Amino acid sequence: MVASHGLTGMLGEDGIHVDMNHLKSGEVNLGTSIMAINFKDGVILGADSRTTTGAYIANRVTDKLTQVHDTIWCCRSGSAADTQAVADIVSYHLNMYSIVNNEAPSTQVAAALFQELCYENKDMLSAGIIIAGYDPRHGGQVYSIPLGGSLHKQSYSIGGSGSTYIYGYCDANWRENMTEEEGIKFVRGALREAIKWDGSSGGVIRLVVLTANGAQRHLYLPDTDYTGPGVTR
Amino acid sequence: MTGFDFSNYNRNAALQARGAPGPKATSTGTTIVGCIFDNGVVIAADTRATSGPIVADKNCEKLHYIAPKIWCAGAGTAADTEFTTALISSNIELHSLSTGRPPRVITCMTMLKQHLFRYQGHIGAYLVVAGVDPTGTGLYTVHAHGSTDKLPYVTMGSGSLAAMSVFESTWKPNLNKEEAIALASEAIKAGIFNDLGSGSNVDVCVIEKDKPTQLLRNYMTPNDRGQKERDYRFAKGTTAYLNERVFSKEDLRKYVTVEEISGDPNLMEVDP
Amino acid sequence: MTSIGTGYDLSNSVFSPDGRNFQVEYAVKAVENGGTAVGIRCKDGVVLAVEKIITSKLLKPGANKRISTVDRHVGIVSAGLAPDGRHFVSRARDEASSWRGVYKGPIPISALANRLGSYVQAYTLYSSVRPFGVTSIVGGWDSEAELAVDGQVGSGPQSGAGGKVKGAKSGGPGLYMIEPSGLYWGYYGAATGKGRQAAKAELEKLDLASEKLSLHDAVKEAARIIYVAHEDNKDKEFELEMSWISSLDGPTKGRHEEVPKELLEEAERAAKRALEGDDEEDEEGAKGSERMEE
Repeated sequence: MVASHGLTGMLGEDGIHVDMNHLKSGEVNLGTSIMAINFKDGVILGADSRTTTGAYIANRVTDKLTQVHDTIWCCRSGSAADTQAVADIVSYHLNMYSIVNNEAPSTQVAAALFQELCYENKDMLSAGIIIAGYDPRHGGQVYSIPLGGSLHKQSYSIGGSGSTYIYGYCDANWRENMTEEEGIKFVRGALREAIKWDGSSGGVIRLVVLTANGAQRHLYLPDTDYTGPGVTR
Repeated sequence: MTGFDFSNYNRNAALQARGAPGPKATSTGTTIVGCIFDNGVVIAADTRATSGPIVADKNCEKLHYIAPKIWCAGAGTAADTEFTTALISSNIELHSLSTGRPPRVITCMTMLKQHLFRYQGHIGAYLVVAGVDPTGTGLYTVHAHGSTDKLPYVTMGSGSLAAMSVFESTWKPNLNKEEAIALASEAIKAGIFNDLGSGSNVDVCVIEKDKPTQLLRNYMTPNDRGQKERDYRFAKGTTAYLNERVFSKEDLRKYVTVEEISGDPNLMEVDP
Repeated sequence: MTSIGTGYDLSNSVFSPDGRNFQVEYAVKAVENGGTAVGIRCKDGVVLAVEKIITSKLLKPGANKRISTVDRHVGIVSAGLAPDGRHFVSRARDEASSWRGVYKGPIPISALANRLGSYVQAYTLYSSVRPFGVTSIVGGWDSEAELAVDGQVGSGPQSGAGGKVKGAKSGGPGLYMIEPSGLYWGYYGAATGKGRQAAKAELEKLDLASEKLSLHDAVKEAARIIYVAHEDNKDKEFELEMSWISSLDGPTKGRHEEVPKELLEEAERAAKRALEGDDEEDEEGAKGSERMEE
């Protein structure tokens, strides 16, 4: 079957199969391992740093953790172009929201905006996004928007091609109400496994910790088996 | 309104559906690179343009002007890189005029990515955007589908793998201007010599803080046709002949009719 | 009227030399002829009440409501031209619905008041339109609970973080009044319409800022205030219409609803009793001093 653009699909015995993840030829892909978790004082987002075009690594130090407001961030997976465009649009709307309503948007508002874009344009997008934010009213929250554009509130969320390898790890090691230190260890350990087993994931591990104190970045390098250097800025 | 007309695309799609071969765009199988240094940024490109297996231009320009201190190296469809950079250059100048401020690299990058994203990859422009503005030095790659990356050194085009191998093996932080130029041109040479789609010369553009931008056209010409070791021409009279007839000018008139043409004889003839 | 004959009162979007927009001032006059409307904001909810003058014996009692629900958690009552009020409510519903469409949740009362203020103000700018002949009281309750995104799946972690901050205070009552100029303020107690002066005097006595008044008592006070405000207009019969919005653990669970019939009637009985008591007090104690004023 030839379809140069858009969706490819086929009719099987058990229904219509649509390859929603189809990328246009030459499109930059985020074969990715991303995750976000709730912990006692907020949320932690984590991601690998590999961006690929086919078999080529177009960027080995990518930042897939994107800020859309002061303490609302997202993890991007799927097409780099699509997720950057969506994050840029949400970022614009949250900025406008905080000006018009004289109040920082809640994580719910960000999640709602992401979902609207991902659902209404589902035919044109390949984007799997995890939203995590901290606001004084609700504390830390994690939302996941997979390919079809549905919205899921979760204790923790994993995504991207590398996530398939760490469902067991996460299920075995997840605990609610972890401390920041425990949370970082959990995310770092999970992403280390995802990077180890998934060929499309790799590079460094980036983390963002969101609490009442704001956002803090962490960096973990493969040279040290992802043990350091830790807090960057 | 500015924009693209897709009616020819539809026509071609219809023709292709009936078995006609589609038209081929000139694609610059290319090596382009960029690298920041202590006081600015350098970008470089090869100068080969290809059309399928044919070298369409041996010395084309792939470094495009956006603003005095923002330049772009283009790979992909030649027409698309040319027109896209020209459009953004125009809009950047208008923007600069209306704000009364020097244009920023990130503004240019954002305009490019939003334009390219709107056309969903149909505009085949793969660009390296580089420049210096009041916020500092900027170096980005922009892919045809609208994704962007920000890195200290970048490569694009079919020769990007060869060029990246040079950066990955020899790049170090805090380069000075001379080192950066040498590294960028070395990376382009790796593309020229190891990638079929790239070739001919090295163009370099150096953008520095508080200094005029330098466009070093044909900074290196590693493929100059040198003096041939031997002369392959045959000496006069090598080929023997059996008989000889000489025609004078007057004799020629017997065989042809001469007709005077009207109009300005200085005008060049143009093919219909 | 100083404006008459000057021409400055003929068109909207034209200032008089001393900086007034007479069309807006005339709109305020229309409001001043309307039945009294009040709103009371207390700690655990908001009450809206309106004096509905009965213009014909043929009108069905209890029909032709003047208080409208905008969204589940917001109500509006207006004084002035009833059709303008209905158009205003229609716009408020559109705004609330549009907010839900974009943000997948209920519109905060402050944001609704802001948007409605902007809408009304726009009608003071153009010569092709006239300002709204209503002053509207917007009352509502911003949920104090964890807010969900409409259509979300799942609810996050069962304990600890994830939208469950202990002791975080948010949400609460909201009461705003929007005037024909587009001016709006947030109030503890708001009154508009014919009997607004008397109503305001009564509202001020309630010390609403201390937040000691309960929602139940506020219902009774609102009824009484409407009855007090009607005193100067005794020749006309009226009907009392009341609605309320309580906190999530209160009687309406954060929704805007009509005050139940029994409570309304109880409040009316109490109001009448209080008035009769006042009359008696008047006749006894205030005879000398008040009559002297006349």
